[in-house]
Amino acid sequence: MTAIEPFGGFGLGLRRTHYADFLDGDVPVDFVEVISENYMIDGGRPLRILEQVRERHPVIIHGVSMSIGSAGGLDEKYLAKLKQLEQRIDPLWVSDHLCWTRTSAHNSHDLLPLPLTEEALQVVCDNIDRAQSYLGRPMLFENPSSYLTFPEDEMAEWEFLSEMTRRTGCYLLLDVNNIYVSAQNHGFSADDYLTGLPLDRVRQIHLAGHTPGEIIIDTHDREVCDDVWTLYGKAMATIEQPVATMIERDDKIPPLPELLSELDHALSLACESISA
Amino acid sequence: MNASQTLADRQAAFMAQVLNDEAPLPAGWGDRHAQGMNVYRGNYRSSVIEALKSTYEKTEQWVGEAAFQRAAAHHVITNPPSTWTLDDAGSGFDATCAELFRNDPEVAELAWLEWAMLQAFTAENVRPLDAEGFAKQSAGFGEEEWAKLRVTFLPCATARQVNHDLRSIWNALGEDEFERPQARHDTPHSVLVWCESERSTFMMGTAEEARAFKSAQAGTSYGEICMLLAGEDSSEEQMHDAAIRAGALLGRWLNEGLIALIEA
Repeated sequence: MTAIEPFGGFGLGLRRTHYADFLDGDVPVDFVEVISENYMIDGGRPLRILEQVRERHPVIIHGVSMSIGSAGGLDEKYLAKLKQLEQRIDPLWVSDHLCWTRTSAHNSHDLLPLPLTEEALQVVCDNIDRAQSYLGRPMLFENPSSYLTFPEDEMAEWEFLSEMTRRTGCYLLLDVNNIYVSAQNHGFSADDYLTGLPLDRVRQIHLAGHTPGEIIIDTHDREVCDDVWTLYGKAMATIEQPVATMIERDDKIPPLPELLSELDHALSLACESISA
Repeated sequence: MNASQTLADRQAAFMAQVLNDEAPLPAGWGDRHAQGMNVYRGNYRSSVIEALKSTYEKTEQWVGEAAFQRAAAHHVITNPPSTWTLDDAGSGFDATCAELFRNDPEVAELAWLEWAMLQAFTAENVRPLDAEGFAKQSAGFGEEEWAKLRVTFLPCATARQVNHDLRSIWNALGEDEFERPQARHDTPHSVLVWCESERSTFMMGTAEEARAFKSAQAGTSYGEICMLLAGEDSSEEQMHDAAIRAGALLGRWLNEGLIALIEA
């Protein structure tokens, strides 16, 4: 399977609110990321727009429903639809999350946590092997934000991710906000998490806002907070290869210039971190 | 949970807790776990209800926010999502509305219409047959070919019988403050839904049109549709009238761009 070459761009998620901006103007981004499932459809306007955007920008397809941690294996119909989209768009890469969303009977449409056990690791690796083999390309998997841990956990999340990449050859989508959210919720050190990961496998970073509270929730509905910017700076100073950085906003989506300004801030921090 | 449980067992139990507030927490779980589970439950419900609100915007406007919220919450409990696409969460919501709004049967019809329009919006793109193409393909048809003619509609096209004027309801809902139209029909009508220039659209018609459309969609020939419209034991005159009506329907479907291809 071919390797994913490092790519050091700065991009945004393509959301319906900004379709006109992307179609009418020259939006200064190096790539756009789309939610795969929104375009795993047979036809219509959304697909036509994505194809038009693809003519101007590299596209990453980022899924939320592969359910790579499902004990029951992957949904073959889902894989077929994803491959159809992948062939239509020829994305920079295909990514999803380290989580599960479905049993044989139901789908949560929320990213549910996995127990960090050897059994779960083997399930995840078998499913990644199946997905990568089906798509004929390696994938990226994102570290999730989580709101509970399991008494049966046998390892830290970064150990789980390290072993997952080692066994399957997959890459990492490092969500810095998710590290912060989970670290705050479960009381581990975000720095330990970063240093425990195989950072050479990181190809992309997500940045987003969260809702503070007794349990911090990953809501993507506001600006990136200062602590997450600091953690991003540390990540960028530590990761040796170029990585793609993206701002995620899925709720209370502001006008495009506001997101571009946030992306500029990421670029400045990345430049400072790399030169320091 | 006990140590002998497999990951599949644990996931089934976890999903049950996400779907149902009253499912017991596993042994060994404390308050912190319960708080975390509440976040997952909340995320699940809000994402599915938001998807329903997005799909059924007009239905929500028609019944009001509070009534819609109750119906959506009921639907999430009775029809938990089972497929990978969140859009499917709205599947069967017209039946939920039929059950919950028994005294307002137009609600279920409006919900059906919105669902059909969502399906049409993302259906496979197929170019409709135009009048010129139809004329060219049917140029040499004799009586036998016309009788055998079968129509294939665009993949986005669908129809059903309704008892309310959904057009007047739809138009009224276009206003910020709308007045409820007298939409109840004395006799059944039909609604046809399809996608035109990347926009879902619909038109009202006779009940006969829905019957003919569904028959044609199921592969019934034009000749058989004429007989269907004429009814059993029909006279020659009735057959003649039915053939004229069937021809008018065929012309309407062609003019509206609902037909993908014909074969005889």
